[in-house]
Amino acid sequence: MDRSTTPSRRLRWARLLALLLGALLVLAACAPDDEVAEPEDPDVVDEPDEVDEPEEVDEPEEVDEPDDPTTFRVAVGVDLDTLDPVGQTTTTVANMVDYTVETLTRIDEEGAVLPNLASDWEVSDDGLTYTFELEQGVEFHDGEPFNAEAVATTFDRILDEDVTVPIRAPYEQVESVEALDEHTVEITLSEPFAPFLAGLSFSASAIVSPASIEGDAYLEYTEPVGTGPYTFADYSPGERFVVEKFDNYWGEEPHYDTVEFQIVPEAATRVSLVRAGQVDMIILPPVSDLPALEDDPEVEVLMAPGNRTIFIAINNEIIDDERVRQAMNYAVDKEAIIERVLFGAADPVDAPMHESLFGHCAVGGYEYDPDRARELLDEAGVDELEVSFIAPTGRYIQDFEVAQAISGFLEEVGISAPVETMDWPTYLANINVPTEEQGADMHLLGWAPSYMDSFQHMLVFQTDQQPPAGLATAHYSNPEVDDLLAQAATEVDESAREDLYCEASEIVMEEAPWIFLHSQSFPIVYRAGLEGITYRPNESFYAVYAQPAE
Amino acid sequence: MTTYITKRLAVSLVTLWGVTLVVFGLIQLLPGDPARVIAGPLAGSAEVDRIRTQMGLDEALHVQYGLFVGRLVRGDLGVSARTRRPVSYEVGARLPRTLQLAAVATLLGSAGGILLGVVAARRRGTWIDNSLSVISVAGVSMPVYWLGLLLIILFAVNLGWFPAAGADRPTSIVLPALTLAAFSVALIARMTRSSMLEVLEADYVRTARAKGVIERNVVYKHALRNGFIPVLTVIGIQFGTLLGGAVLTESVFAWPGIGRLLVDSIFSRDFPTVQGIIVVYALLFIVVNLVVDVLYALVNPRIQY
Repeated sequence: MDRSTTPSRRLRWARLLALLLGALLVLAACAPDDEVAEPEDPDVVDEPDEVDEPEEVDEPEEVDEPDDPTTFRVAVGVDLDTLDPVGQTTTTVANMVDYTVETLTRIDEEGAVLPNLASDWEVSDDGLTYTFELEQGVEFHDGEPFNAEAVATTFDRILDEDVTVPIRAPYEQVESVEALDEHTVEITLSEPFAPFLAGLSFSASAIVSPASIEGDAYLEYTEPVGTGPYTFADYSPGERFVVEKFDNYWGEEPHYDTVEFQIVPEAATRVSLVRAGQVDMIILPPVSDLPALEDDPEVEVLMAPGNRTIFIAINNEIIDDERVRQAMNYAVDKEAIIERVLFGAADPVDAPMHESLFGHCAVGGYEYDPDRARELLDEAGVDELEVSFIAPTGRYIQDFEVAQAISGFLEEVGISAPVETMDWPTYLANINVPTEEQGADMHLLGWAPSYMDSFQHMLVFQTDQQPPAGLATAHYSNPEVDDLLAQAATEVDESAREDLYCEASEIVMEEAPWIFLHSQSFPIVYRAGLEGITYRPNESFYAVYAQPAE
Repeated sequence: MTTYITKRLAVSLVTLWGVTLVVFGLIQLLPGDPARVIAGPLAGSAEVDRIRTQMGLDEALHVQYGLFVGRLVRGDLGVSARTRRPVSYEVGARLPRTLQLAAVATLLGSAGGILLGVVAARRRGTWIDNSLSVISVAGVSMPVYWLGLLLIILFAVNLGWFPAAGADRPTSIVLPALTLAAFSVALIARMTRSSMLEVLEADYVRTARAKGVIERNVVYKHALRNGFIPVLTVIGIQFGTLLGGAVLTESVFAWPGIGRLLVDSIFSRDFPTVQGIIVVYALLFIVVNLVVDVLYALVNPRIQY
């Protein structure tokens, strides 16, 4: 710019150029590509680990076509931290591992517990002895027979303290697992544990081939060998997880020979992949893309309901007047948040837990009523209230954005709650501590139990689960609720148990330890022309029987 | 030259030791309990304690550091806390991808950048020069995240020429490499332009012109050779930076490189993996710098060590 042009002339230049910028950039970046990219390509083809596809000269048009009609491609956001069923902590990872392994019970779309590898069972009156009839003629991927012995061996490993089982809680009451005969197994509990059958649907208790857990694999289990419809074929860290159809599967045969999960961390990229037809299905698009995707004739959007309840945990030891907490509930327009911040990807809640959980009953909630909120604050003698408020970013759908909206609603009734965010480990360190160490007066959290029962969900209202013992981060304490929940944990009679949870839910809702918000949906997007794609209400897809529509 | 390289390698060892100390120290400053993060929010506190013991986090700090360095000396990077697979396996799976992408992006960036830079220097002050300046400013300041998504929408979704993401096809590398190269092109073009402007004023260039060498040879044979040296430094640094992983580009294009692994590991407080990656990264950086120094001597024989 050292030429002597007048400032105004330069400015005009700059404007003109700025207009052409986008186009020019693409051209500039493109031009050298044709000369340079070509000689580099052989390098890529030479990669020894790329032997699976002999197509070295790539036809650009191929990208549009699903190049292999026998492969079903799915893009997910998280990499698999472990392929070991007992190590599962993340729903989506468990979702992929579940293609290879199966559990004794399973859940359906409503969250009801159904037979799976166990075809039938009987529970003793004292709730201590479970006798399972096992499915017959079932084979593991390595050819070993599935039988009572395999169940017992699997459980020995789950209960072994030397094996890392982060979510061992559902099986901690197991005292012994005994093979009564080839196809009957008896599990004895040390004390009654009502959610046990539901807990058996969780991947950690998937039955694996006894031969596959011998030797080094006992502690470092890297290749799951189960009874599932697909066998483990390949895993490249950060890249993909591939399974292939198991010919001797005992259940209904799936359509696709291969299922390939691609790890695509960026949600916007997942959308591009499914829109370009490069994958058949994705989960969790950016919610702001949902309206456009719903209008796109090339894809279908399945808004699966999910059991993850999103809430603001208020520290009940700091904000100890329940009228203030109720006021906070009245102050927030939950419907508006669902519609405008979440683009509809959530459902309102009518109880502390999601409706798919056993023990849920609708106890109502707090309508949006800012006037009532102000009244309650007056009654409580609160004039100006300042609270510190934190929320994670990217952990739950639009989490920080939701928190900002709430901050705005609270402001309108005279509560100043500016929201701050931080990375997840730091966040956990701020909330998972006793009150005096807590980093904020309230925080946003999502809670989804690993199996469809209120037991695990309601732990967060139990006094004995306050940090550091557990994640009851609202520090809510009510002996009556503690008592009801303790009874519900061991009550064998289902309807009596449901009543106990109902009663506890009513008290909790009334005392408002949280700002009750919504349960977030689990959006699934797949190519139009496919059918058989459905979901489980625990933020899982169920696409084993996906196939092209007739 | 050999003594120089030997000396440099010796210094590198000290650098590496410093790196282990710094990375170990910094990690201790991170808030958050790694065992809790790895076990997940639903895990019981007994499990969390067990994982803490398993990771060796209950040992005294100096013991932990000693164990880390001791393993390192034996060439053992340890075991990932998150995946319980060896760190060398995790890094080994991603490193070739990162090398590929860095190499292609650097090649594209250098070729484009040098060409544009020379053209701009020769046409100094004209509209070509001006537009190239604007383009380079834009290239340097454009967020790769946004550029990457634009390229995906144009070339993968609308035109269908290249895969939108992944690394499983030969053409998969094109879009991420272009995205990364856009930044390098801009940077290298600016560097080349200013370096060339300086050289083109030099006496020997005037002499060359005076003796009747055709302009093309003056620019590309006489001037570029000298003007190239500072550019080479920039290219070296660029390549080194790309080796560390281009986190955003890797995320946008689902390219399974080392940058994403590093970020994921930091967010999950997977200390062994973070330490392992940084040590490997430091090693690579040292090697790249050494290679650049050697290249100086090759480009300009007057440079002696």
